[in-house]
Amino acid sequence: MSEPRPAAQAAEAHDEEAHPIANPQLAAVLAWVVPGAGHIYLGRRSRGIAYLLLVAASLFIGLGLHGRLWTPVPGEPLSVLATLGSMGMGAAYFVLRYAVGYSGDILATGFEYGSAFVLTAGLMNMLLVLDAWDIARGKKE
Amino acid sequence: MSHFLLMLVYALLVSAFFALLWRRERRERVKLFLQIFVSMVVGGIVVAWLMYPFPSGPPVPFPQ
Repeated sequence: MSEPRPAAQAAEAHDEEAHPIANPQLAAVLAWVVPGAGHIYLGRRSRGIAYLLLVAASLFIGLGLHGRLWTPVPGEPLSVLATLGSMGMGAAYFVLRYAVGYSGDILATGFEYGSAFVLTAGLMNMLLVLDAWDIARGKKE
Repeated sequence: MSHFLLMLVYALLVSAFFALLWRRERRERVKLFLQIFVSMVVGGIVVAWLMYPFPSGPPVPFPQ
């Protein structure tokens, strides 16, 4: 009877079994810059378009409600996390922040709801980056 | 938009996203979508109901 393999050995064996199907770094960068682009690059076209629509819908609803586009606030360490989360949406964050000068409108009725939608768009895209990375490495379908 | 409608839209987006991300079979996707969507909406209503007795706090001063 064989002894159970330690977790590290099992993980290593799993890594060896995975066959990369594309460049994981490129897939991750594409997925980050434009939501869904990483999946489209990996041949998951319809899934990539669906992801793009979902992230874009979350972002545009948030912008329509004048939600906050997070930037670091001095004395508020959690704002750094929120900023990093928002940056997960990729190019859109920098376009909105630097090209459009968008920051949100705290006096708007939908400000809090909008902020949740905007932040969610960034966080969803972060998960898409990880998903594209795993697919490119052959660890996911 | 009403608070409830926004909650529905939010739950719709999030549940569709995770169903697409975590499941590959169509049937499994629909099942997970419904589970997350119903959990979020019912959970939101339950939390709102539990918070109902608490005062909402003083009104935010309007900046001049």
